[in-house]
Amino acid sequence: KRRRTSDDVNIEDRLDSLITRVGEKSTSSLESNLEGLASVLEADLPNYKDKIIKILCDCVIYLPEKITVYTTLVGLLNAKNYNCGGEFTELIVRNLKDYLKTGKFEDARMTVRFIADLVNCHVLVAGSVLQMFDNLIEVTLEDNIPQVRSDFYVYAVLSALPYVGRELFEKKEQELNKLLQTIENYISKRHHIHVPSLRVWSSDDPHPQEEYLDCLWAQIKNLRNNKWMEKQISRPYNAFDSVLCDALQHTLPQIIPPSHNDEIKYPLPMVVFRIFDYTDVPEGTVLPGSHAIERYLIEEHLQKIIDSNFLERKECAAALLSFPTKNKLPLNYIIIETLFAELFNLPKERHLELFYGVLLIELCKLQPSTMPQVLAQATEMLFERIDTMHTICIERFVNWFSYHLSMFQFRWSWDDWSVCLEQDPNNPKPRFVHEVLHKILRLSYHQRVMESVPESFHCLLPLKPQPCYKYEQEGAGSLPGTMKAHALMSAIKSKCTPEEAAQILKELPSDMSDDNDLSFNPLKIDVFVSTLLYLGSKSFSHSFAALAKFHPLLKSLAETEESQIYLLKTLYSVWKSHQQMLVVLVDKLLRTQIVECSAVANWLFSDSMKQDFISGYLWEIMHSTIKKMSKQVDKLQKEVDEGRDRLDAQRRRAADGLDMDGYDEDIPTTEMIDRMEEKLESAISQQKSLFLIIFQRFIILLTEHLARCESEGIDYNTAWYKWVIERLQQVFLQHHTLVYKYVMTLEELLFTSNIDIHILEVFQQFCSLRS
Amino acid sequence: SRNDQDHLLIQSTTLYVGNLSFYTTEEQIFELFSRSGDVKRVIMGLDKVRKTPCGFCFVEYYVREDAENAVRYVNSTRLDDRIIRTDWDAGFREGRQYGRG
Repeated sequence: KRRRTSDDVNIEDRLDSLITRVGEKSTSSLESNLEGLASVLEADLPNYKDKIIKILCDCVIYLPEKITVYTTLVGLLNAKNYNCGGEFTELIVRNLKDYLKTGKFEDARMTVRFIADLVNCHVLVAGSVLQMFDNLIEVTLEDNIPQVRSDFYVYAVLSALPYVGRELFEKKEQELNKLLQTIENYISKRHHIHVPSLRVWSSDDPHPQEEYLDCLWAQIKNLRNNKWMEKQISRPYNAFDSVLCDALQHTLPQIIPPSHNDEIKYPLPMVVFRIFDYTDVPEGTVLPGSHAIERYLIEEHLQKIIDSNFLERKECAAALLSFPTKNKLPLNYIIIETLFAELFNLPKERHLELFYGVLLIELCKLQPSTMPQVLAQATEMLFERIDTMHTICIERFVNWFSYHLSMFQFRWSWDDWSVCLEQDPNNPKPRFVHEVLHKILRLSYHQRVMESVPESFHCLLPLKPQPCYKYEQEGAGSLPGTMKAHALMSAIKSKCTPEEAAQILKELPSDMSDDNDLSFNPLKIDVFVSTLLYLGSKSFSHSFAALAKFHPLLKSLAETEESQIYLLKTLYSVWKSHQQMLVVLVDKLLRTQIVECSAVANWLFSDSMKQDFISGYLWEIMHSTIKKMSKQVDKLQKEVDEGRDRLDAQRRRAADGLDMDGYDEDIPTTEMIDRMEEKLESAISQQKSLFLIIFQRFIILLTEHLARCESEGIDYNTAWYKWVIERLQQVFLQHHTLVYKYVMTLEELLFTSNIDIHILEVFQQFCSLRS
Repeated sequence: SRNDQDHLLIQSTTLYVGNLSFYTTEEQIFELFSRSGDVKRVIMGLDKVRKTPCGFCFVEYYVREDAENAVRYVNSTRLDDRIIRTDWDAGFREGRQYGRG
């Protein structure tokens, strides 16, 4: 082989840029660009064939929104150079097998589609692609596999059919019908247990919330009824028909899906999100119906544009708005629907929540005369339908809306929402507005929030955040700790040492209540923690500094879980009007290991937090606690893995008789690794017990509610019940990979057949996500 | 040196945030920047003489990726009705919080 010179590198870069940018804005037509590029590449084939083929294969994965541009290019190259087409086919098939084996399912799906489209460009024979489809679909006949496995293979074939359906129909109608029959059989026998937990809205009014495969199948059936003619896909190869039809075609080698094993993580199922139908959009453009294949193709195309551009918000907005067939479509409506579908996607939003917020702002900036109205219309509709919206999605809606308002001077036509003022404050609408005002408060200040909403909304306004220090309030004189609290305050103000502070606390009586068997002294915690927090109340930084200075003393006051819960209660008594402060300080207490995760969970479920139990911030604390626990486990796992790797590598070198000098990295001893493993084990068991605590408390709470309603003969399905059962779902969904590790234990210990079916169902839905 | 500085910037988890209103509080900054990830601390820029906020701050994240998302998605957006801007910072050291406003 020739050595690569810097000239080669330059030419390779140039090829890369030419190929990846074809089809972008240009003064000449796409066809002439493609023709020109094919000639350039043809001339470079003798020297750079491997490189060119590799770049093209990368485009399959990284630029899926331009799929037909690249199939056309491959078609033109194949027409000029048969071997090149053959080698491309070989590589793309090898890649597909590799994606399937390594679980890169989205890459695999795009590759299947690309291969299928190569039939249209006379690179492959139709029968060969049908054979590939048959092989993929055969997975549906396997026994003892999770449904998500067969779902994927069916999805990969179905989502390629809009591209190649017409060709197969013309050339291989019988075989195509047989394939569709097999798919139909499969679709009709699939289970749908997972669907309720993935729906954004629990109601099908006004729009059915369909499972993704069912929906795509309905769209494909429509396409079939239309003789496989669709109006969405741009097909540049049609312009080259006279050139392409003379080309020699290849056949695919056999593609057999790798067999199932439990390590493989298949894509989770989805539910299709809809806000709009054709009646919502202005006259002049037509929104394709929910079972039109065009709707699917447009939405998927927009998603691919987002996935390719999400790191650059401005480019992303511009790319969305220059959608190829924009003039024929109510594009703004489809963009908004697609973005909210991604934001509300369950179990997780597809990209960072903040990204959608800022992308919507960019879209409004680029189309100031139309986009804000459509967005406002969508917001109205979301609010209107909030009663049946999933709690997780309401939470994301709160986050987005408060953020959006903060970018637009908090202006909103609140009066249109005054219906919520007449409702039970626990109902979704008033709750939503209340939570939004809380978030607005965090992004601005109390006076501003007050001025932003009409006076009639003041009943939903959060309190003005301020610390509550009981030792300086009226009646403090009769409290047992007041004297010492004041002494402590002046000592801390005059910069006493932690030891001096501890000395003052020592003089407090040890039992202030009749509860003598406490393992700790509540009065000490109360006096110290409330005084410290009060003194640091000026800002987060002041509070952090106060906690840092007295860290050892805090730790020694709260050694047991009981005492940690008491410390958290004290924190709450000082800061109950400042949710953000509670969130931030609990985070700090956890990170500095003054309190443990299990103490936080137990505190949040305790009676003292009952009145805040359906508040968003409480769940913000819960989920960030679970997240911190899992980060700790991950970190320790990584340490153990790296330690073992280093030790193994060192042993291999020793076994090979290599000189040890020159390796200055730390080689851990076996004992050190044992100790790391012990730490990891204990973190894992803490994590497990954290989930057990949370789920057990949920079960107790919900069982009590259900039993009480039954005995009193009232409907259990109250506003409170909806919030709480969906918060339970949220714990499963938001941490599904983690919880899945403990699914056996949970089934054995907690979610047994004795518990109420309403609670058990949530667990079963979760399990079925991967089954 | 220049190299060391570049190296620090590439690994940094700290942002310099400018064009803040003098009235914007640490809490508000915390809230906005937390939307791209866990914020470790916010250090308010203070007027050297009066020791009052003077329009800039440092935001430190626990992990680099969250800071990168802040540069992508928070930079040039509004806080307290002002377009704020973020730049990478080599890391906060005591004394750097004092400026002229």
